[in-house]
Amino acid sequence: MSKLEYISFHLVDDNDIDLAVNSKLLEIAKISNKIVTYQSALLLLDYLKSDKFDGSKPHVILLDIMMPNMNGFECLDQLTQMPEHIRKQLTVFMVSSSIDRNDIKKAESYDLVEKILEKPLDVYLLKKYLGEVFE
Amino acid sequence: MQEKINILYLDDEEQNLFSFVALFRRDYNVFTTTSAQQAVEYLSNNKVHIIFSDQKMPEVSGVEFFETIRHDYPDAVRILITGYADIDAVIDAINRGQVYRYVTKPWDANELKVCIENAVEKYHRDKELYLKNKELERVNAELEQFVYSASHDMRAPLASIKGVINVAKADGLDAKTLNYLEMIERSTNRLNDFVTNIIYYYQNSQSDEIISEIDFDKLLDEVIEKYRNHVTTQHIRFEKTVAGSAIYKADIHRLKMILNNLLSNAIKFSDSKKDDCFVSLEVIVNLEKVMIKVADNGIGIAAEEIPKIFNMFYPSTDKNSGSGVGLYIVKQAVEKMKGNITVKSDVGIGTRFIVELPNKS
Repeated sequence: MSKLEYISFHLVDDNDIDLAVNSKLLEIAKISNKIVTYQSALLLLDYLKSDKFDGSKPHVILLDIMMPNMNGFECLDQLTQMPEHIRKQLTVFMVSSSIDRNDIKKAESYDLVEKILEKPLDVYLLKKYLGEVFE
Repeated sequence: MQEKINILYLDDEEQNLFSFVALFRRDYNVFTTTSAQQAVEYLSNNKVHIIFSDQKMPEVSGVEFFETIRHDYPDAVRILITGYADIDAVIDAINRGQVYRYVTKPWDANELKVCIENAVEKYHRDKELYLKNKELERVNAELEQFVYSASHDMRAPLASIKGVINVAKADGLDAKTLNYLEMIERSTNRLNDFVTNIIYYYQNSQSDEIISEIDFDKLLDEVIEKYRNHVTTQHIRFEKTVAGSAIYKADIHRLKMILNNLLSNAIKFSDSKKDDCFVSLEVIVNLEKVMIKVADNGIGIAAEEIPKIFNMFYPSTDKNSGSGVGLYIVKQAVEKMKGNITVKSDVGIGTRFIVELPNKS
C-alpha cells in the first residue's frame, strides 16, 4: 500500500482517549504515521483554511459524529462548502460508537463521505476501504 | 364537583322536548331541537356530554343521525329514544356500538333520570380511562427513549475501552498481563453485545421495514469479518456459501441483526474440545424467499431447552453465558419480516438454525 504513504490523516474527536487510541491503531496497522488529531471540528476547519494545508496530496478525515459545539454532520456541511481545490483532496470516514440507521442514511447523502465506521476502529476494514479508494 | 353536564336532545315532537327540559333543566344544561342540522351546529360550537335522539323522525332516523356525528364526537354518550316498533333498528345500532342505551317511548321520568346518571358515570369513566391510557403511552415512550439513550451513551465509553485494549494488546505485553487483558476484553465484549442488543431491540420494535436490494456475498463477508479477528474465534473455521441468482430485497438492518446474533451465538457455543471447529453460513435465494442456514459443530442444545431459547432473558448455560436477549431479538426481527425460524440441535454434535424470509422485490 505504497500510495497510502502520501495521505495525511486527520482524526477529529472530542474524546482524547479515542483520539489517542485511533491514531495509535493507524500506526500499528502501518496505515500511516502522518496523523494529526483535533479535539474539535472547528480546529480541523481552521487547519484546512490555513496556508499549512497541502492541496497537492490526498487527505483522509476520520470524523466523529457526536461532538459538542460542532458535530460531525455540521462539520460535513462546512466541508461541502469548501473551495473545489481543497474539497477534491478530501475523503471522509464518519466514526461513531453507536451507529444509528438515520445517521447511516444521512452520511450516505454526502458525496464526501466514503463510509461510516464503528468505534473502536477496525483498522483492517479501514485499510480495505482505503485500498478501494486509493489503489 | 365536576363540570356541569351538557345534554343535547333531538326529537321532531316538540312536546317531548318541553317535558324533557322541565324535568332536567335544574340538574343539567339542556339544549333541545327538532332539527338534525341545528343539532350538528350546536355540537360544533358546544361541548356536549350526552346526546339523546328520537329514532323516528321525518328527515333522518336517530341511528342515521348518530352515524353522522359519531366520529367527530366519539366521547359523547349516545342514547336512542324509540317506540317498540323500531326494536330491530335499535338492536342493530347497539350491536354496532352506535348507541350506549335506548329508552322506550313513552318514557318514564325516573327511568330517564337513572339513564342519564348512568350515562354521566360512563362519560367520566371513559374520560378517565382515556387519560390513563394517554399517560401510560407517554410513560412507556419515555421509558423506551431512556433505555435507548442510555444504551447509546454506554456504547461510547465501551468503544473506548475496547479501543484501548486493542492498542495495549499490540504493545508487546508479557503473557500474564496479556492474559488479564483478554479477561477484560471478554467481559467488555459481553457487555457490549448486551448493550448492542438492547439498541437492536428498540430499533426493531420502533421502526418500519426499509427495503433495499441485498448482496448476500458482501453482507456475509461483512458479518464474518466482524468476528474473524476476535481472540475468541481464532480456533474457528468460517464457511460461506451463497446460491441462487434471484434479486432479493429486504430490510438490511434487520437481516444484520439476525445474522450477527446467530453468528455470535454459534461462536459463543463452539466446542473447544473439538479439533476442527466450524461455523457455516449458507444462503439460498429464490424469487419468493431466502433460506439462511447457520450451522456449527458446537456444544449443542439439550432437547428440553430448545423450546425456551427464544424467550427473553433466557440464559442458556452458565458457560460464557450472554444476556439471553440475542435469540429473542432474532425471533422478533424474523417475525417483523414475516419469516420463520427453526432450530435443530444435538448435544455434543452441533446446532443448525434455519431462517426463511420472504423476498420483497
